[in-house]
Amino acid sequence: MIDKGVGPTIRKVIIYAIVIFLGLICLLPLINIVAISFSGSAAVAANRVGLVPVDFTTTAYNRILEDNQFWRSFMISAVRVALQLVLNLVLIIPTAYVMTKNRREFRARDIYMNLLIFAMLFNGGMIPTYIVVRNLGLLNTIWALILPGALPIFNVILMMNFFRSQPKALEEAAVIDGASPLQVLLRILVPCAKPSIATVSLFSIVGSWNDFFSGLIYMQHVEDYPIMTYIQSLSIDLAELVKSATSSTLENLTELSNRNLNAAKIVVAVIPLLIIYPFLQKYLISGMTVGSVKE
Amino acid sequence: MEKRTLRKILSFLLAVAMLLALAACGGGNDTPSSGGNNSSNGGGNNSSNGGGGNNDETPSAPIVVTMGRQTTANPKFPDGDNYENNAYTRMAEAELNIDIVDEFEAENGEDYNRQVSLILSGGGMPAMMKVSSKDEVTELYESGMIADLTDVYNQYASDYVKGIYDSFEGRALDRVTYDGKIVAIPATASDAGTSMCWIRQDWVDTLGLTVDEDGDRCLTTDEVKAIAKAFKEGNPEGVDNPVGMAFDSALTAGSSEGTNMINAFAYAKGAYPRLWYYNDNGEMTYGSTTPEMKEALRLVRDWYNEGIIDSQLGTRTWDDITSLLTNGQCGMVFGAWHVADWLLNNVYSLNNNAVFTPYAVIDENGKVNCTHANATGEYVVVNADFEHPELAIEILNLFYDDMVNSQELLDKYPDVNTYLNTGVDGTARPFNIEVKSNTYLLDEYACLKAALEGTGTKEEIPTAEERSNYDSITAYNEGSGDVTGWCKIHSRCKGVDLLAYLTDNNLYNWISPVYPETTETMNTRWSNLQTLEEETFIKIVTGATDLDSGFDEFVSNWKSQGGDTITAEVAEQFPQ
Repeated sequence: MIDKGVGPTIRKVIIYAIVIFLGLICLLPLINIVAISFSGSAAVAANRVGLVPVDFTTTAYNRILEDNQFWRSFMISAVRVALQLVLNLVLIIPTAYVMTKNRREFRARDIYMNLLIFAMLFNGGMIPTYIVVRNLGLLNTIWALILPGALPIFNVILMMNFFRSQPKALEEAAVIDGASPLQVLLRILVPCAKPSIATVSLFSIVGSWNDFFSGLIYMQHVEDYPIMTYIQSLSIDLAELVKSATSSTLENLTELSNRNLNAAKIVVAVIPLLIIYPFLQKYLISGMTVGSVKE
Repeated sequence: MEKRTLRKILSFLLAVAMLLALAACGGGNDTPSSGGNNSSNGGGNNSSNGGGGNNDETPSAPIVVTMGRQTTANPKFPDGDNYENNAYTRMAEAELNIDIVDEFEAENGEDYNRQVSLILSGGGMPAMMKVSSKDEVTELYESGMIADLTDVYNQYASDYVKGIYDSFEGRALDRVTYDGKIVAIPATASDAGTSMCWIRQDWVDTLGLTVDEDGDRCLTTDEVKAIAKAFKEGNPEGVDNPVGMAFDSALTAGSSEGTNMINAFAYAKGAYPRLWYYNDNGEMTYGSTTPEMKEALRLVRDWYNEGIIDSQLGTRTWDDITSLLTNGQCGMVFGAWHVADWLLNNVYSLNNNAVFTPYAVIDENGKVNCTHANATGEYVVVNADFEHPELAIEILNLFYDDMVNSQELLDKYPDVNTYLNTGVDGTARPFNIEVKSNTYLLDEYACLKAALEGTGTKEEIPTAEERSNYDSITAYNEGSGDVTGWCKIHSRCKGVDLLAYLTDNNLYNWISPVYPETTETMNTRWSNLQTLEEETFIKIVTGATDLDSGFDEFVSNWKSQGGDTITAEVAEQFPQ
């Protein structure tokens, strides 16, 4: 037992060491940001903050509480995530289900599939997309952030493959019992697909929460910015700005470039995802392992 | 059977999709979407109605002016105000009977330029907007999208505003004059002055050094080197890894005041990196490729070898250099007169004993070489279809003449006065541009100095900004210890004072570079050439490449890779 155990133990130690190392690479920057957010701004400017706050203070968080725009943007993002999640699921699930049918059952299936894949690989580019969004009158509305990403095709394919992995017999049995395709989908397949739905939901939530670029393009007023666009607009490259800004603007900007405030904003913006992740993670793991247990 | 169910699913999906779409139109957001439609059809329509109303109905129907507005991340609005509705816009709306509607707002730089391109790609353009390059003005003019402002400028612009532009001796208005027509309102940028060498005075005192023996407030490159060396060896704050001087990895900047750059030394050697100018032989020259530049690099390389320059040159970011200063590792920094306001303030926040003194760096003839700034790099353009282009000039008068000169106006709009005194950012004004005379900095400083010395009064200081500087400085001198007071003493009473001194004593040697539009070859080659330049210079200074062969090779590569063509194109833009 002991003789046998030595090899695997060493292996385990090495594996754990590597995994812990990789974990730290991801974790340390986050801890550093948290530490900065709780540090005095002078200590931050002097690069003295590592993993522990220096001159502990909550000034930055107090200022966030007073920052109306931050909370407005936060709410915009929350609403956006909720709407996008619902819309994504409503569109992805039926689309994926239909795409599992073969040509005999759904003659135009291949045409649709090719269209989807084509649209996944190629798109009109930024300006044509912008013009479409504008001509639809969506500019400056929350729908400009949601509708262009209403049907993430990658997720459709993910979902489709999951449906395909389900035993065909399940569906056939339901059909024999008189279920309509809609009933098959909603009563049989969707309940089985919880792990995949969780995975797809997670992608949707993380994607729409973190997306800053569409806000930058489709929102023409700062008040309408979602949270990540707002935070992005706060990150300042002084070296670039010195070329164009006036001295009074520079003064205003450096006041804000006190990095602890920005760090605090990042921390607050990340918290929602940190809360959601653990709940969905267990599905995420089972979503990946489900395929391994086969009849 | 199957077909029918399919149809059911499809129709269900359609129904869902339509419901959502309806929700989008109904509940989503009524005002902005309809507002967007209106304004994208051009302010022209709206305003023509408004204008008509002016004549036959009541005089109170305001003219709608749609705008593209450039914003900043920290405008410091009081609660409830925003870009579209703030003290400045309210004043303009009341004074000129207009209604300012922001068609789009976006942050300084990239983000704003992207919004401008997007708006133009859709064929629409607000009644007035700012653009940040001459290329865009040219393009808009050539496609006939912007209005000719010549007549309204001549007719409406106040004498004061005209005087401002005249102080640039044509360098401002010429840039927006196409075929004899003024097609944009230029922002002005006055000369920034030299890249000063800011030295920790308290260190000099601690170490008992003698700086500037002859008292002319100028240092030779050797003197600068001696101080940096003394700072590094003396290490007055007893820190680990002291550094003589540190620079940004870009090394040079295309403007005279270059912060964290080696500009001061390049200029002292007679090299004007990243700038185009006619040299003494009448040839169009790019400053980075001159033999003088090589000498400047030789100087810096030697210092690097001697360990006087930061050994991590090339990898430090601005934030890193700031932390070197605040940690007391480095006691010397190069930059414009205003670095005290936004960079050195960090040093003072951490160490209240810190005192800086700025010096100019002179060449071997005892002169401070300096380049004239690009007199205008930003423009406000007016939509050709907008029926009231005179409003643009009236806004110009209101903000850059009346607001500066008329106390009555400020008394009438106390909000505006509050804005000026609390430092609400200038981007809040309808036009986010500066229109000030070429010598405003020195003129305003002269009044500030007089007031501080008791030969003048605070009331005689022309601008609110300088008046509030006066208050901060007075408070600091009375012992407040406030960081703002410390900053203003450094930026004004030391920084600007040095500029005034150089001007008064005729120590400047002015060079007038040209500021070209992006040429055809620049479009494809320029970014590569810039990379080549930056990489070569860093390699030369750090010793990775030999100076003599490396620099000569750089020059020939630069020329053959499009530099020569670009030089010819630039010369064509500015016939001698």
